[in-house]
Amino acid sequence: MDYRLRALLEPTDATGRELRKIILKATSSAGRGHIGPALSILEIIRCLYDSVLIHDPKNPNLENRDVFILSKGHGALGLYAVLANNGYFDLSELETFCKFNSRLGGHPEWHNLPGIEFSTGSLGHGLAVAVGIAVAITNKQQSNRRVYSLVGDGELAEGSIWESLLHGAKHNLDNLCMIVDFNNMQANGSLDNVLKITDIPKKLISFGFKVVEINGHSINEIKSVLDFKPRGGRPLAVIAHTIKGKGIRISENSPEWHHKAKITEDEVELLLGSMY
Amino acid sequence: MRKTALNTVYELAKSNPRIVFIGSDLGHKTLENMQRELPRQFFMEGISEQHIVGFAAGLAKEGFIPFINTIANFFTRRALDQIIIDVALHNLSVKFLASGGGMVYAPLGPTHTATDDFAHVLAIPNMNVFAPCDAIEMEELVINESSKSGPSYIRFGKGGEKIVSNDFRIHKSPYIKIQGDLSSEYAIISTGVLTQMAIDAMNSLSSPIKPFVVHLLKLNFLGETSLLEIIKGRKKIIVIEEHQPIGGLFSQILHYFHANRIDARNLDSISLPNKFIRNYGNQNDHFNNWGLTIEVIVEKLGA
Repeated sequence: MDYRLRALLEPTDATGRELRKIILKATSSAGRGHIGPALSILEIIRCLYDSVLIHDPKNPNLENRDVFILSKGHGALGLYAVLANNGYFDLSELETFCKFNSRLGGHPEWHNLPGIEFSTGSLGHGLAVAVGIAVAITNKQQSNRRVYSLVGDGELAEGSIWESLLHGAKHNLDNLCMIVDFNNMQANGSLDNVLKITDIPKKLISFGFKVVEINGHSINEIKSVLDFKPRGGRPLAVIAHTIKGKGIRISENSPEWHHKAKITEDEVELLLGSMY
Repeated sequence: MRKTALNTVYELAKSNPRIVFIGSDLGHKTLENMQRELPRQFFMEGISEQHIVGFAAGLAKEGFIPFINTIANFFTRRALDQIIIDVALHNLSVKFLASGGGMVYAPLGPTHTATDDFAHVLAIPNMNVFAPCDAIEMEELVINESSKSGPSYIRFGKGGEKIVSNDFRIHKSPYIKIQGDLSSEYAIISTGVLTQMAIDAMNSLSSPIKPFVVHLLKLNFLGETSLLEIIKGRKKIIVIEEHQPIGGLFSQILHYFHANRIDARNLDSISLPNKFIRNYGNQNDHFNNWGLTIEVIVEKLGA
């Protein structure tokens, strides 16, 4: 069975459903939000913070922590839900999403919220910063620290990503992991229709990365691949096959739910009712 | 000037392992000593300016102090988004060493002439913008900036400039420097290497029209109260700049006049034009063409 079908058929568990409810509550409160991207990456971020990253919600600046940068900053709601669930801030704060004095904007801001390593939103930035951090960590001989950057498949259209890939390989950054949220869907529609990008694994291998493909909604697969040991001299690229809007039938594979600037209470009820 | 800046970075890096140098695809053997002796602090990263700026931000986030060097436009035009978001938004200590300020690269055409760089970087919150006038001032600045937090943009001249900064008097702020008699009713305000022309213009004149020269090493001076007493009430002030009139030194001075309610009727300027310059030649050819000459300065002063 191919990865996409497995990702589609992957059931969500109780934690997954709870996190999705948190996200929907935030969008209900704000009347807006990037629902599809947040649900696409939710299992990846959840696994990172629950099981993979060395981090401390009570000490977000922990000296020897791993670093995670959400390059596709529009997935912020997924990150907020997981950070709150890990105790970085209270879950109730999700209800302030996008409000004037909120710490939770439509894209994550490092100076607002503990746990956000870097502000993102403009695409094609996160991997370059991650490469810089990975080189810094290597220079400081902090051999156990790892750096993760999660990019969208649509984001791969940014040329800067490919610059950074060259550099990740040049510096033999085996402490670096780029995760591609590969749901084959962007704001306008499918990647194939907007800007086709073929053979992503082959491309990344040719750039000097070690490449692993996973079902991006399988907790076991995500954990086992992302919890890597920095060794071997090559950076890691994980192609996570995901479903945009995963876990809610009507939002799955639907560009309509990539982003909405106006979401009504009725629509939120509809989404909740469509959750599985 | 560029050689001095880069060598200063190298000297600083010898005793501070957190100081690193990043180049794009700089000339053969650039800082070869540093590359050989301090390989962990030297990065020649290829023609990938957007990446390099983000890369520098990542290093700075982990406590390093990156000095990056490439041609001015390849920072302010090609990598502006990265400068704003990755560096300035996070207030990281990345130091941009911008080669070829103004018309230095005149023979290479409008892709390389940096006539709008100040406009881009002055609009960025947290960014400190500098234009030294000679190699000595450059060396002092690089040393100072290596211990200051936050981002900086440092514009280079052509190189080989005459040393004039030894004769400056500091006026309260280390970034406001004076040559000449402050009791004069005439003043020339300048930044960068054009300050050399301002000094020559001053020296070509005699009292009572002999002006004094204000060299503004740092272009973020809107909060500098000490500038007010220097420029207020003068009979004539000429601002000269190697930049288009929008968003550079003259714009800053106009803001300063307005913010301090100074009568600007006696203020005049000589700038490059707000258009794409289609001619080549050299830097001096353009100075002559656009009125950045001692003769025009003297004429505008009313002598």
